[in-house]
This record gives sequence, structure tokens and C-alpha cells, in this order.
Amino acid sequence: MTARALRRLIVMGLIVLWEVLPRSGAIPELFLPSLSSTLLSGWNEAAEYRQALAVTLSEVAISFAFACGGGILFGAVVGSLPRPRILIMPMISSLYAVPLVILYPVFTVWFGIGPESKIAFAAIYGFLPTMLSTAAGIQTIDPQLLLAARSMGATLSQRLVRVIIPAAIPTVLSGLRVGGALVIVGVVVSEMLISSAGIGYLISRYRTILDTPHVFAGVLLVLAMAVAFNAAIKWIERRCAIWRTGTQGGQRAAEEIAASALQPAT
Amino acid sequence: MGGNAMQPLANITPLKSVPRAGAIEVRSVGQVFKTSTQDVVALSEVSLEVKPGRFVVIVGPSGCGKSTLLMMMAGLRQQTSGTVTINGAPILKPDPDRVGVVFQEASLFPWLTAEENVEFPLALRGVAKSERRAKAQDALRLVGLDGFGKRHPHELSGGMKQRVSIARGLVQDPPVLLMDEPFAALDEQTRMTMGDELLRIWAATGKTVVFVTHSLTEAVYLADEVVVMSPRPGRMVDHLQVPLARPRTYEMLSGDAFGRLRDRIWRHIKKSA
Repeated sequence: MTARALRRLIVMGLIVLWEVLPRSGAIPELFLPSLSSTLLSGWNEAAEYRQALAVTLSEVAISFAFACGGGILFGAVVGSLPRPRILIMPMISSLYAVPLVILYPVFTVWFGIGPESKIAFAAIYGFLPTMLSTAAGIQTIDPQLLLAARSMGATLSQRLVRVIIPAAIPTVLSGLRVGGALVIVGVVVSEMLISSAGIGYLISRYRTILDTPHVFAGVLLVLAMAVAFNAAIKWIERRCAIWRTGTQGGQRAAEEIAASALQPAT
Repeated sequence: MGGNAMQPLANITPLKSVPRAGAIEVRSVGQVFKTSTQDVVALSEVSLEVKPGRFVVIVGPSGCGKSTLLMMMAGLRQQTSGTVTINGAPILKPDPDRVGVVFQEASLFPWLTAEENVEFPLALRGVAKSERRAKAQDALRLVGLDGFGKRHPHELSGGMKQRVSIARGLVQDPPVLLMDEPFAALDEQTRMTMGDELLRIWAATGKTVVFVTHSLTEAVYLADEVVVMSPRPGRMVDHLQVPLARPRTYEMLSGDAFGRLRDRIWRHIKKSA
């Protein structure tokens, strides 16, 4: 059996267990409602969930745009100039170890409890790995490639467009994957903490009234969002498959960043 | 008359086969790296004259400045003293019209196909797509890679990658081809084959070639002239002619003349080690 088929089997098995275990009474429905009752309660409140999803998705999209735009821009500057790199990189790396979520209450004081505070928090949360990856991607470009381009008479802007950017793409993409995942975490967590709208808010509200099927319906939506996002990035990465073979140094650097990024996740 | 109108065109064609100038002159070139504590002399008073169409190999142990010297000829590095001229004009920055450069293995752009890699220098100067493609095809055919244009570098063997690099160096038809240890990353067998291939291409194009290597055998096998360099400070210690007949053959490697030349180079290098 291939690893892929086995993975599918495991997922199927988990889905079946989710249905069977609560139904058979092995797990009380209050702890884990069966899949069907979760879906049903989600369906019954479809309008409410749809509205919450729209709020959350828009917050995620805006935060993602900020995180990526800022991360790529700052990463490119920090990665290509040695002085800012020496100055900033140690600070960013130690900032990474701080659970940023402790700052969220401060954000609500500054930006209110509406979407602004979520966007600000999630954008900063996703910014760090994107920036670190981009910086690493640009730092690990083979100097031989730049030298070759120069020998062919490439100007600075030609080197940027034709060598530096394409060579950095795979590393930047893996940074976007981690950054995007953290943006989703950031938005949902901040909604759960202090909010009046969004999926995180729904989950948190239904939890306080012990309505577990509705809690799990919200969890399913967040899960779907994360899976869809990951699939989208994977698709883009596959389209750039040729790139990957060239810059394995950058790839490795990005994976290290990804690994360390997932540690301090709230 | 129609026939007369065609006359000037007919005159242009033979001009193309006349070897273009490719004279290199290096005059008392020096390179000093300033560090906080001391000045390090990387190259000291190197002078060298390369006549058009010659195959010159620069050989020496690492740190003797042979690559530095080549980078100066390519306009990729500025010397602290002395001058480097190609075709009578000084080289102050990279000039792809006069000089093509071939580097070690990893210098192809991995996200471009072989064809696009060869077209790269033309694309930089805004040459039209169709013309670029035609020239790249010609260059790939010259290096024996007809039909491999659509492959990416990771789909090519080490030897094939270096053929693409050579095609890229030749695509703009510069009179001078500079090669910085181009076969260093290849295995012995591929290296021998590529040496023969390079000699064939050189004979077909009439370029001036300056080739840097640390392999004594490769140096004698390929060269018309061998320049021997020695480190600390980097300088020229010998400049010898290789009187072996062309085409070079594998049997020459075990001949007396070959052995004597290689010994002479080895004695210089041993002294400096």
C-alpha cells in the first residue's frame, strides 16, 4: 500500500470513529458529539455560521496581505543588506520565542474589539516567519549565479528581476505557508479571546453554554479553512517545482524556520 | 541587374570566417586586499600576452590568484594596479561583446531550460525572441546538445550542464572565452571527454581561450601555452609553450614530451607548496 493510500485510510478511519464512538456511548456526546450531529447543528444555524465565516475570512485575507507584503519587503531588505541583518535578525529571532498572544489585550485597547485588532495581531503573527524565510531565501542565493549574470552584463535591476527574485521564490513560498497558517491561528485565537463576531467568537460563545455540537461545527470550519489554504499553497509550490531543485540551501533554511515557528504557537 | 544587386551580400559571407581579434594583454597587474591588520598581496606584477586564437591554460595551487586574474580579464574584479586590455581597449567592467565566461558547474539558472539559459545574455540586451531562439539553437548544436534545449539543468548530466555553460559563453560570439575551472566538478571520464569536446569547439570557432585549472594533466593536454602561478604572493613563475601536435590524443598522455612538460610544471608547484 502506498503512503498516500495509507494516509487516506487513516483519515477515513478517524472520520468513522468520530461517528461511531459517540453514538455507541463510548464517549459522552457532551465531550465529543458525533460527526452527523455536529454537521446537523451547523446546518441548522447555517446563516449564523456563514456570517461568522465571512467575517473571519475577510480578517484572514487582510492580515495575510499585510503579513506577506510586509514580510517579503522587509525580508528582502534585511536579507540583501548585511547591516540591517546584523542589527535586526537577533531581535526578530528572540521576539519569536515570545508568545505574542499575551500582547492581544493591549491590541484591543489600541484598536478596539472589532476586526482591526484581529487584523493587526494576526498580521504581526504571520509577518515574522514570512520575513525570516524571505531573508533566508535571499541570503542563500548562490553567489555564482549572480556572478554569472554580472559577467553577461546584467545591471542591478536585471539581476534583481531575473536572478534574485526567481531564486528566492521557493523559500518565500514556504515562508508564506507558515505565515498563512499563523495568520489563521492569530485571527481565530483573537476572536476567541475578545470579540463580537467571527468563527472564533462563535466557538467561544457556544462553549460557555456547553453546546458542544455547535462548538465542533465551528472547529470543523476552521479546520476546512486551514486545509484549503494549505492545499492552495501546495498547488502553487508544485507549479514552481523546477525552482526547488535549484536552491536546496534556501529550502532547508525555510524548513528550519517553519519548524521553529510552530513551537511558540500560542 | 538582379545578379549585381546580390553582389554585396556575397561579399559579407566570407568576412564572417575571418578570425576576430581576441588579443589579451595583462600589464604588471597587482591586487592587494586591505584588512584591518595588514595588506595581503593576492597578485603581484603579473604580465601576460595572449595572441588571438591561442589556447592558454593558467595552472597553480589554490590561493595563487589564478581565478582572481581570470576575473580581472572578465571585468568582474578590479585590479589595484596595472592594466588588462582586450582587443586593445581596457576592461573596466564585464563586456559580453568581447568576453564570454564559463564558470564551474553550478552557474546555470535552475529555473530556466537549457535553451533559456543560453538565451539569457541575449535576453538581457533585449534581443527579439525569434533571433534569441535561433542563436541559442546554433550554440547548442555547436556544443553537441541538439534536442536537449527544453530540459532543465537538473535533468542534465554534469558534462551536459557544462556544455550548456559553454554554449551560453559563446552565444554572443565574443572573440575571447574565459573558463574558470569549468570541469573541476566532473568525474575523470567526463572530464577527458569534455576536454576533447572543448578542443573541437575551439578549433571550430577560432576563439581565444584562457582556461584556469589546478590539474597539470588537463593543462598540458589542452594548452598551446601554460602559465604557471605560485601563491603568497600570487605571481607568475613560468610560461611554457606546449609543442605537442594537434589534434591531441589520449596516447600523448603517456608520451615523453607530455611527461617532461608536466614534470616541469610540477617542480614549480612543489617549490611553492
